[in-house]
Amino acid sequence: MEKWKFQGNQGLKSSAVSVRGVFNVLMQSISKEKEVVRLCRVDPTDNPLFSADPVAAHAVSTAAHSGNFNCYPPTFGLPQARRAIAEYLSRDLPNKLSAEDIYVTDGATQAIDIILPVFATPGANILLPRPGYPQYETRAALCGLEVRHFDLLPNSSWEVDIDSLEALADDKTVAMVLISPSNPCGNVFTYQHLKRVAETARKLGIFVISDEVYAHIAFGSNPFVPMGVFSSIAPVITLGSISKRWILPGWRFGWIATCDPHGIFQKTGIAANIESYMEITSDPPTFMQAAIPEILERINDEFYSKNLDITREAANALYERFKEIPSLICPHKPDGAMAVMVQINLSQIEGIADDVDFCVKLAKEESLLILPGVIVGLKNWLRVSFGLERSAIEEGLSRLKAFCLRHAKMSQQISA
Amino acid sequence: MENGGNGNGVAAVNYESKATSTITIKGILSLLMQSIDDEKNDAENNKRVISLGMGDPTLYSCFHTTNVSEEAVADTLLSHKFHGYAPTAGLPQTRQEIAEYLSRDLPYQLSSDDVFITCGCTQAIDVSVAMLARPGANILLPRPGFPIYELCAAFRQVEVRHYDLLPEKGWEVDLDAIEALADQNTVALVIINPGNPCGNVYTYDHLEKIAQTAKRIGTIVIADEVYGHLAFGTNPFVPMGVFGFTVPVITLGSLSKRWIVPGWRLGWFVTTDPSATFKKPKVVERIKKYFDLLGGPATFIQAAVPHIINKTEESFFKKTIDNLRLTSDICCKEIEEIPCIFCPHKPEGSMAMMVKLNISLLEDISNDIDFCFKLAKEESVIILPGTAVGLKDWLRITFAADPSALVEGLKRIKAFCQRHARKCLKQY
Repeated sequence: MEKWKFQGNQGLKSSAVSVRGVFNVLMQSISKEKEVVRLCRVDPTDNPLFSADPVAAHAVSTAAHSGNFNCYPPTFGLPQARRAIAEYLSRDLPNKLSAEDIYVTDGATQAIDIILPVFATPGANILLPRPGYPQYETRAALCGLEVRHFDLLPNSSWEVDIDSLEALADDKTVAMVLISPSNPCGNVFTYQHLKRVAETARKLGIFVISDEVYAHIAFGSNPFVPMGVFSSIAPVITLGSISKRWILPGWRFGWIATCDPHGIFQKTGIAANIESYMEITSDPPTFMQAAIPEILERINDEFYSKNLDITREAANALYERFKEIPSLICPHKPDGAMAVMVQINLSQIEGIADDVDFCVKLAKEESLLILPGVIVGLKNWLRVSFGLERSAIEEGLSRLKAFCLRHAKMSQQISA
Repeated sequence: MENGGNGNGVAAVNYESKATSTITIKGILSLLMQSIDDEKNDAENNKRVISLGMGDPTLYSCFHTTNVSEEAVADTLLSHKFHGYAPTAGLPQTRQEIAEYLSRDLPYQLSSDDVFITCGCTQAIDVSVAMLARPGANILLPRPGFPIYELCAAFRQVEVRHYDLLPEKGWEVDLDAIEALADQNTVALVIINPGNPCGNVYTYDHLEKIAQTAKRIGTIVIADEVYGHLAFGTNPFVPMGVFGFTVPVITLGSLSKRWIVPGWRLGWFVTTDPSATFKKPKVVERIKKYFDLLGGPATFIQAAVPHIINKTEESFFKKTIDNLRLTSDICCKEIEEIPCIFCPHKPEGSMAMMVKLNISLLEDISNDIDFCFKLAKEESVIILPGTAVGLKDWLRITFAADPSALVEGLKRIKAFCQRHARKCLKQY
């Protein structure tokens, strides 16, 4: 048998698992006895109550039918799309963005794919939140960026542990990533806290990459504050998409926005690097880009607030039900995004080794899918999504409660 | 050139040198457009711009996709059933459809597991280079070629080695050069067939020889078939996957050219490899892991693919081929009348051709780049300098245009050449 010189990219071998990858493993464990309840993925289209505003589909369909947009799109995006996104984001920013600050991407996934290598100079390191979103770790590994994790503090509403951030940074640290509102924690950072993060970044001389894929998905008392508000303190790169707020993850439309009133990204060559890399990356379809101005301008507040109400109701229901399960601790009532972190009190459980074991057995015994926290950086925690309708959440939590009771340590069972 | 990476050899790239040293086609074309705009602002020269520079036929009305595809996409979009994430490798029905579509021309059956859906062929290129990148690797690329390969290789720290395509032999691959260039670190041989920028369509025999050479040097073949089936000359299109038993082949393709929808960004990365070299669990795992990181094309566009592939009428395909044959004929005829431009091989496929510029016959033109910039300024015609695709003092002309625009454009090129002809030759 001949030997072919194909060995493949070793970087992928050693990379972290991906959310979708673990999802596949769990899917294989699942028993088909009951109807599957998925509290594991944050695909809002899983919730039949969430409907995309028909304006969006109509706008794209019109653009497609016009036949004017079958051509290749320009490298950084159609000018009208870039302008519309700049205007949309500027509504909440003191320093207005221009079209040149916007780069259109194939979903926020591609925005991450582009922005990390841009910072990857030899020996550089990047600060990522723990728990976080594993695509960052994987992508960093692939481009040789060393990863250092700062903690989010469960007992302080998942705020950034500023001391750990400062301790980790050195002269090779290029940037920090913040996911705001937070996936997987489900919290919305306050204005004061974000300002403090910006000031810390400035002190450390690093940029802030603010992953705002869940922008405006804030249904508690803290309003959503874009990190770009503090861009005169520290330069900010904002990542966003239409996936969550517009319930259109399958459309693959996102952006990178450089919020940088002092022109630091130009001076340091970061902007040139982004533009260089975009020469080889692909794009969202031209006709979709053409529809973006209409989608961003016309969708109304009623649509947004209706979806927020649905999310709030689901999150509250989830939180209340968690209170009934002693072996699971939810330290922070979710007030944003679409998932929440819950700690497993292993001392109250028997016969389960860790979070992965917990989730595999849960899939087998209850046909319930929840993501083990190790995937997002916190072993023996669980990430539970609430982007579903109330009835599915109730059903899911009932099964979870039954499972936990069944596996409770004997002494607990007797007293229950 | 670049600073090195860390011990694992993963890419750490110096972007400044990349920005200046690697020319992109879009980059040069936009500079050429700009020089026309600048000129228009102060001169009375207000000719309409004729672009024969980019491989995007949608600029011209005679090249338009079929209603079938537009309706298919509108249907899936308005069904509201495809707003959610697709699996990272692509929707199962899309993968299955493309497997069947490609299998029609192969001596074996592809399964949907062989097919991965990408955001255009551009992403398929990036994936194949990224998959193969490892410390010290090199990749064999054609010259002239398609500069996205060079760019991807540079970003992934894969060394590029160019083998020549031979104009005097119908742009066939220089097989001796390939054997000379390859070594134990060669990870792939890339061929583009039908050819961009040369317009060649390789014969079965030549592809067989390429396969055998690849086997001899122990390297896989990446077959860029983005212009698949766009063959209008005597040689029929033969997919490289036909030789999949001889050598493992990765086939890249998309809807962009055959269906004239480059803006839809729907492509594929396919392991056409009946000997199952790519089916080893470790390899499959790696490919899947990489795709887990990527965004992929819009779900509703993927969902429209089965309908598009199944229901597109033969007459649409035939019309495209006839148009390409017509326009390439026009192009060659007009070029015959321009002394300083020589076409070594009449194109038989794709949408572009390479022609040689005889600088010595021109008065004040130093090279192909100079030629193209002056042409743009004086005549508002855009063609691509061959330097952008690896051949200095050649030109790439895209003939996928309206016949009238093509004729007008070439007449202006002829006028330009006459105006700049070396004086002592003007007597002829």
